[in-house]
Amino acid sequence: MEVALTLPLVPDVELIAARAVQVMGRSLGMTDGELESVTVATVEACLNAMEHGGQTCFFVRVNTHREDGGPSLEVEIEDHGVGFDPQAPPRTSPSRILGCVAKRGWGLTLIRELMDEVDVRSRPGKTVVRMVKHVGGA
Amino acid sequence: MMQQEEKLRVSTEQLEGGLGLVAAAGYINNEGGQAIADAVNELVASGCRTILIDLEGTRIINSIGISILLEILDRLMESGGTMAFCNLTPTIARTFEIMGLVQYARIFPDRAAALAALGRDG
Repeated sequence: MEVALTLPLVPDVELIAARAVQVMGRSLGMTDGELESVTVATVEACLNAMEHGGQTCFFVRVNTHREDGGPSLEVEIEDHGVGFDPQAPPRTSPSRILGCVAKRGWGLTLIRELMDEVDVRSRPGKTVVRMVKHVGGA
Repeated sequence: MMQQEEKLRVSTEQLEGGLGLVAAAGYINNEGGQAIADAVNELVASGCRTILIDLEGTRIINSIGISILLEILDRLMESGGTMAFCNLTPTIARTFEIMGLVQYARIFPDRAAALAALGRDG
């Protein structure tokens, strides 16, 4: 089962992707906690695509899987912007909050923490963030 | 585009002992974060030094919204104030942990526990 969305760059459009993953995740029997994790990760990936995508739209694909290992939800966010270095070190904590708030750049860190599998492929013209959440998984 | 339940709703209450309560329910993005910042600023201007933000009804938050919360916390701490949160979902609690908010703000399971502790400790 797949949902494929082409989303324009308008405010709050990430909530359409969030709703899609919630509906699909619920169909797999995800817990509220799992749904919230996938939702926040999806929102962050959409924000990255909207910020760095540079085009008029970006793409979201949501797939359900029911392999022997258990059901899982796969979300792909694709944009055709300038790309970025996915190997850039994540920020794990702000060393000094006072006077030095790390305002942006948390998206991939949150995604990696909240999802079970994350694969980021980026080059100029095409970035795909693929992430998977296993139902009832670690 | 945004459904009514996702649009952030904010209410404030000034309690005894310099405690200000902000109840926020909905999507905390840049707009929602700014709405919370405005509410906190109003309470601080009224003399509140401890701010409790109750997130019951908030299920979606993004890193921009959390960054604004960090900025609020920054300003509050600079002026000698403190901040606390209650009613966080496990995912929101996790994002606060990842982004470092929990190092500087107190977290309580619900409003009753927060008010009891903050009223006692100041």
